[in-house]
Amino acid sequence: MATTTATITLASTDLLSDSLSLSSTTTLYDAGTTTGLTQYDSGRVEIPGDNNIYILLDSTAAALDKGNRVYVANKNTDEGHYVDMLIDEAVLGRLYAGDWMFIPWSQADAAANLEVRAPNEANTVEYAIFHEGRTFTGA
Amino acid sequence: MATTTATITLASSDIADNAISISNTATLTKAGSTTGLDQTSGLRRRTFTSMSTVKLIDLDHYQDQTLTENAAAKVYIKNTGTSTAEHVAVGIQNGAGALEEIGWLYGGDWMFFPYSAVWDSAAHANNQDIDVTPSSTDSVTLEWMVIYE
Repeated sequence: MATTTATITLASTDLLSDSLSLSSTTTLYDAGTTTGLTQYDSGRVEIPGDNNIYILLDSTAAALDKGNRVYVANKNTDEGHYVDMLIDEAVLGRLYAGDWMFIPWSQADAAANLEVRAPNEANTVEYAIFHEGRTFTGA
Repeated sequence: MATTTATITLASSDIADNAISISNTATLTKAGSTTGLDQTSGLRRRTFTSMSTVKLIDLDHYQDQTLTENAAAKVYIKNTGTSTAEHVAVGIQNGAGALEEIGWLYGGDWMFFPYSAVWDSAAHANNQDIDVTPSSTDSVTLEWMVIYE
């Protein structure tokens, strides 16, 4: 098994009247176990700015109801650029230039793809998925 | 304006032949601008003891105010428990009024994601409420925060 950790730090000195400093670390395990996730895929892609919904990560049978975790970052730098992040066409939110997200992705069913849409301009997106396995497509 | 940063570090020395280290810091700004997000729910905490689906973020009753929808809000949620066997499913209501599952937070897990916060009606029909469903009746406590404009 592998040991992979994900740490978040949220910090601000002026969002509240007192400083905000929140930090949390989790170890990425297979669903319902203390066995570390052993597989990952990552990449960097350009999402066309044509307002179409594209599948960034495909829900596959081998990963349904598993301990998958996904990281996505928008690498554009113009503050007006963003991509919509969706699961099965349900919008989570807008990932603006420089933003990142990290979520567990249980892949509740075959349609629960992680999708992306760039309404206006092309956006470069980096992603990584840590998972227990995926179903391969035959040649 | 406020300056709030969110930093992630993903690290593993043995998931592959070479170590992985991904680190990224985002400065949380309002939609389409360089002005920092300046509103927050603060860190909130709630304990659950049933397997019922509960609205964690209820847009009808969100601090007696409305989040600016389709903007740059961010949501942080953490399962503060220690169980690696039981989880809390987190989902978002889609435009058809159905719950779309995002994923499962086991003890110690956290998530951070952008949130469109679309409010459609007081009837909840198509609001993008965030719902949670524990996998057992064992006590589990979630902490969460919304940072928005």
